[in-house]
Amino acid sequence: MITPGPLDHAEAVRYLGDARVEMNDAMEQLLADCEEQVLSVAEPKFLYKVLDLPCEKLMAGEDIAMHLEGCTKAVLFCATLGTGIDRMLRVEQVKDMSRAVVLDALASVAIEQVCRQFDTFLADKFPDLFQTFRFSPGYGDYPIDLQKVFLTELDAPKKIGLTTNDNFLLIPTKSVTAITGLSETEPPKRRRGCASCNLRGSCNYRQRGDHCGS
Amino acid sequence: MDLKTLLQERDFLFLDGATGTLIQKSGVAYEHNPETLNMTHPDLITSFHRAYIDAGSDLVYANTFGANSYKLEGCGYPTDAIIKAALQNAKAAAAGTDALVALDVGPIGQLLEPAGALSFEEAYDLFAEEMDAAEEADVIVIETMTDLYEAKAAVLAAREHAPGKPILVTMTFESNGRTFAGVSAEAAALTLSGLGVSALGVNCSLGPKDLEPVIERMSRYTDLPLIFKPNAGLPDPNSSEYDIGPEDFAEAVRSIAPHGLKLVGGCCGTTPEYIACLKRALADVTYTPQTKDEGPVVCSASTVVRINGPRIIGERINPTGKKLFKKALQENDIDYILNQALSQVEAGAEILDVNVGLPEIDEQAMMVKVLKAIQGVCDAPLQIDSTKPDVLEAALRAYNGRPIVNSVNGEEKSLSTVLPLVKKYGATVVGLTLDENGIPKTAEERFQIAKRIVERAEALGIPREDVFIDCLTLTVSAEQAACKETLEGLHRVKTELGCKTALGVSNISFGLPYRELVNSTFLTMALEEGLDLPIINPNVASMTGAVRAFRVLRGIDENSLDYIEAYQNYTPPISGGAAPAGAASGGAAPAAGNRAGSANTAGASPLQNAVLKGLKTEGANATKTMLETKDPLSIVNEELIPALDKVGADFEAGKIFLPQLIQSANAAQECFTVIKEEIARTGSGSVSKGKVILATVKGDIHDIGKNIVKVLLDNYGYTVIDLGRDVDPRVIVETALKEDIEAVGLSALMTTTLSSMEETIALLRKEPALQNADGSSKVNVMVGGAVVTPDYAERIGADFYCRDAKATVDACKSVFKN
Repeated sequence: MITPGPLDHAEAVRYLGDARVEMNDAMEQLLADCEEQVLSVAEPKFLYKVLDLPCEKLMAGEDIAMHLEGCTKAVLFCATLGTGIDRMLRVEQVKDMSRAVVLDALASVAIEQVCRQFDTFLADKFPDLFQTFRFSPGYGDYPIDLQKVFLTELDAPKKIGLTTNDNFLLIPTKSVTAITGLSETEPPKRRRGCASCNLRGSCNYRQRGDHCGS
Repeated sequence: MDLKTLLQERDFLFLDGATGTLIQKSGVAYEHNPETLNMTHPDLITSFHRAYIDAGSDLVYANTFGANSYKLEGCGYPTDAIIKAALQNAKAAAAGTDALVALDVGPIGQLLEPAGALSFEEAYDLFAEEMDAAEEADVIVIETMTDLYEAKAAVLAAREHAPGKPILVTMTFESNGRTFAGVSAEAAALTLSGLGVSALGVNCSLGPKDLEPVIERMSRYTDLPLIFKPNAGLPDPNSSEYDIGPEDFAEAVRSIAPHGLKLVGGCCGTTPEYIACLKRALADVTYTPQTKDEGPVVCSASTVVRINGPRIIGERINPTGKKLFKKALQENDIDYILNQALSQVEAGAEILDVNVGLPEIDEQAMMVKVLKAIQGVCDAPLQIDSTKPDVLEAALRAYNGRPIVNSVNGEEKSLSTVLPLVKKYGATVVGLTLDENGIPKTAEERFQIAKRIVERAEALGIPREDVFIDCLTLTVSAEQAACKETLEGLHRVKTELGCKTALGVSNISFGLPYRELVNSTFLTMALEEGLDLPIINPNVASMTGAVRAFRVLRGIDENSLDYIEAYQNYTPPISGGAAPAGAASGGAAPAAGNRAGSANTAGASPLQNAVLKGLKTEGANATKTMLETKDPLSIVNEELIPALDKVGADFEAGKIFLPQLIQSANAAQECFTVIKEEIARTGSGSVSKGKVILATVKGDIHDIGKNIVKVLLDNYGYTVIDLGRDVDPRVIVETALKEDIEAVGLSALMTTTLSSMEETIALLRKEPALQNADGSSKVNVMVGGAVVTPDYAERIGADFYCRDAKATVDACKSVFKN
């Protein structure tokens, strides 16, 4: 069982695009209330599968090959906060949009924290292997239509209710699929950074001299 | 032998175990889908079925679990060919035995609306295609469903495309008794029973012991035979081996059998050995039918409401006599209706009446749209309110759960059209005691009509307990004696017919001052005569309070728990006069996040102050005061808009947070509501600054950004036509034509859906009727969303790139020159 743990408020504020606004008590209170709500509604679930490399069906484009260079195994992973969060966001958007945007940002923080917990879990499980960062369909030239392959491979629709639509958007929306390489030797330092991001031209964070994630 | 006979003659029917597990163990390779093995390895598949039949299975599931056109896309075989081959393979295994063969229908693999993008109707079509190929099947099995709505689509498709074949349905639950989609075991049992299936139950997810509480919960809501097809425990994440062996599995099922199990088998991890063990373990056990709990029950997909005492039906979703509601329907403002739904539930409504009948709108389409939208945000069961059979049928299909139909009456035309629908969709129904001759004067005559309605219902197989009789409230100021007749009729229906009763209460007080007092007194009198379903405005505290107090005084609310929960923080209203609506919880605390004092408010009017600080109630009150001395339009232009501009500037300058910008917008919305009411009252023109379409483009379901834009535009005085998310380009063009639109806002979050944005703009530009005489476009397109850039906006021919909601307001100001 993986839980997101206490949610990072500063991260949520960054997702809201409000990083430069000075924090005040009212906003702190709103974040705290919304955190409680997100944590009570979220039902985090994850699946993973360790595959031996090379694995043809996961390869497409150059970026994934570079990412997994030198790795002997790859871990396919998916996680979701469940449909309850999506329903909550629908309800709150009708009732109070100001609260809904905060809940939405905190839910994004929560799924990212679930992923980080998984990274730790993986490190504990394979103490002798080095781990690359998580790489997802849609990063760089890695095609987003691999979402479907990931989910099928993990039997995610049946086991944790995680699906995609025809445009390969994950449903429930607060969900992640990713692949992590495992290597016996330390992989070359490659930050998950803006260089490999498709949004580098348009990113609001970059325009502000910021970046997403942490 | 057919399934019906088998169910009658045998104590237990043995289903098969997992096919997937055998495929995996055999090591056979397949491309895309295991269903293609029906074509490539028919003998192997037949041998699996045969192994189950040899082990004792009376019914085997053909290898068609994922054989729908969505999942099979790209596999190289047509769906019907795979299904026919699969059924033949199973038939070949059953040849020479008594075993029956089922078409096995699993989930489509895409989530349905509202969580996903697949519509109920699209799901139905996909299932219908499977059913059309099922001629050879003896039985239709629908299994591993986590969404009751999807299961319902499959059942309807089976009934209508494979008529006469028995239908078995099993859903997949987690240990908390809910599915991934939030469906409760009780609601599943209740809804599916109503849809005319032969048996229902659970499969997959967990081992037998872990599923016992789930099947036990289902057993209290259905008297149909129960199906139990658990996994062989849980899989080991490394070896994928399941942790319960055949003997232990069989023993566990044997111990659970007294809950009403009739059809038993296994799911993931089970093999022919499990079925053989199961058959041996149950050899000396007799089938024990379960005992269903008493009393009528209605439900949504997540919540069941048993009518075992007065239950409040909220009446507010109804345009009759409500100008703003009518306007919302005309303008397709679904959020307005959703707000009505949520606020009634918060005030204490347990069921919501839904009536969207207006002469100038397409009632059927609107009813379906509104039902789906309410289901997406609200857990309360619904009462479908229309007199038109076509509207009722469309609504009964689209409803996810077991609803109340409001209503049938004693007229032959109504009886013969409405009751068959109630039966077909397993609903409950309100029976109005009127007929061709109108509303009879006396209680006796109304009682006779009630009796006729109940008899007709029973003749169709609708149990008496599912008919709720409404003896009709007349206006006491017009016909004083009529009140007594209504109450007497109600009493007789309750005691002599043994039916539950419903009553719309508010009509009683038309034409009288202080209506609330008359309404709540009449409500209390009716409750004492046996009223079960008061149809009231739950936002009026004295009405909801009367029902809650009655439940305490009549010993229905045990230990007054519900009452205390509702009123523990109650503080009486400060001065005399009626308690404000929603006072039940002692008045709302100020919204979290209000930032009193944080904005520079010196020299601002009380109205502007309220907007700057994001205070809704203060904003509304200040508007009311100001309307005494100032006309509505001046208030909008001189007070509201400048205040919003100030907040917008603070937001752009990084002085306030996004939620605080929205709070100010919400406060402005309260002011606007007051102003709109004033305008509706005086008929003094419109404050709309222009009409704007908003839509999240086809394929995209992330619409929170679009919704933020909507809040802001609304509160700057623009009329927003919100087409929602995943919107087809054609719908946008058609709406632009119909509504004579000058501005369209489009949002897309993902790179994959940007092409839909481009396509939409191209279609808008191509439409001749949306062009000016000089060939330029009448429509100004604003685009935004995480992946949209100014360059891209220009390239696809948008007029405005809007980086945030504030920028969209600025774009609109420039379009409408205001």
